[in-house]
Amino acid sequence: MASFTASSVSISSAFCSFNRTQQGSNLRKVSVSFSGKSFPSQRLPFPRFRISCAAKPDTVNKVVEIVKKQLALPDDRQVSGDSKFQVLGADSLDTVEIVMGLEEEFGICVEEESAQSITTVQEAADLIEELLEKK
Amino acid sequence: MASTVKYLRVPPNSASLEEARRRVFDFFKTACRSIPTIMEIYTIDDVVTPSQLRSIVASEIRKNAHISNPKVIDMLLFKGTEELNNIVEHSKQRHHILGQYVLGRPEITPDSATKDQGSEYLKNFFRSNYF
Repeated sequence: MASFTASSVSISSAFCSFNRTQQGSNLRKVSVSFSGKSFPSQRLPFPRFRISCAAKPDTVNKVVEIVKKQLALPDDRQVSGDSKFQVLGADSLDTVEIVMGLEEEFGICVEEESAQSITTVQEAADLIEELLEKK
Repeated sequence: MASTVKYLRVPPNSASLEEARRRVFDFFKTACRSIPTIMEIYTIDDVVTPSQLRSIVASEIRKNAHISNPKVIDMLLFKGTEELNNIVEHSKQRHHILGQYVLGRPEITPDSATKDQGSEYLKNFFRSNYF
């Protein structure tokens, strides 16, 4: 019960800001937990059917924010479009993790080959824009 | 179950460290993509966020980052895939997930449970069998 009320509170907060791309998954969450919290009989696929707004112009800023949070960089560290992940102190697993974070944030699915080639922030932002357009 | 990898037949060993590394990344991506499912199954969304779970998975992988033998890496990947399958198939319960992966991590649950008591010997004893 507590988690149901908690998720209903999060629903109301999600409706206040329509920019959240997790709105769709929040709705799904409520419908599952309402049915007695039994484990769902079918696995929900990786959520692609999100209610997402138009592509934001500051994709690069969001990427920078995610990178900073992932690598635990201090706020005054300058991260620009052409900073390489290696230089910022990320090893290969960190790079994959950043790509996963971007996947979740933007609701996209990055293919294997394109993921290998991402080395800078700008490349990541370009890939995201391209995938968002294709959707 | 589209995102879980089922090892019905054992795949051939990795030929090189590079291929083993690629398999590790594939495993990590599979795990990350099944994180939303896991959070729904065990209703842990009020305890952790997906990005925290991602970093937990990454830290588990990083624990073995020093291994250089591809066969050992394959074995570890096999165990990891088995664990991930168990979790996604709901063979575990919420307290397993929380106890094994969420609690005790200083980033997520600040260490308020451990009182500052006991000697150095006890602290070592709680940490591991061998000291």
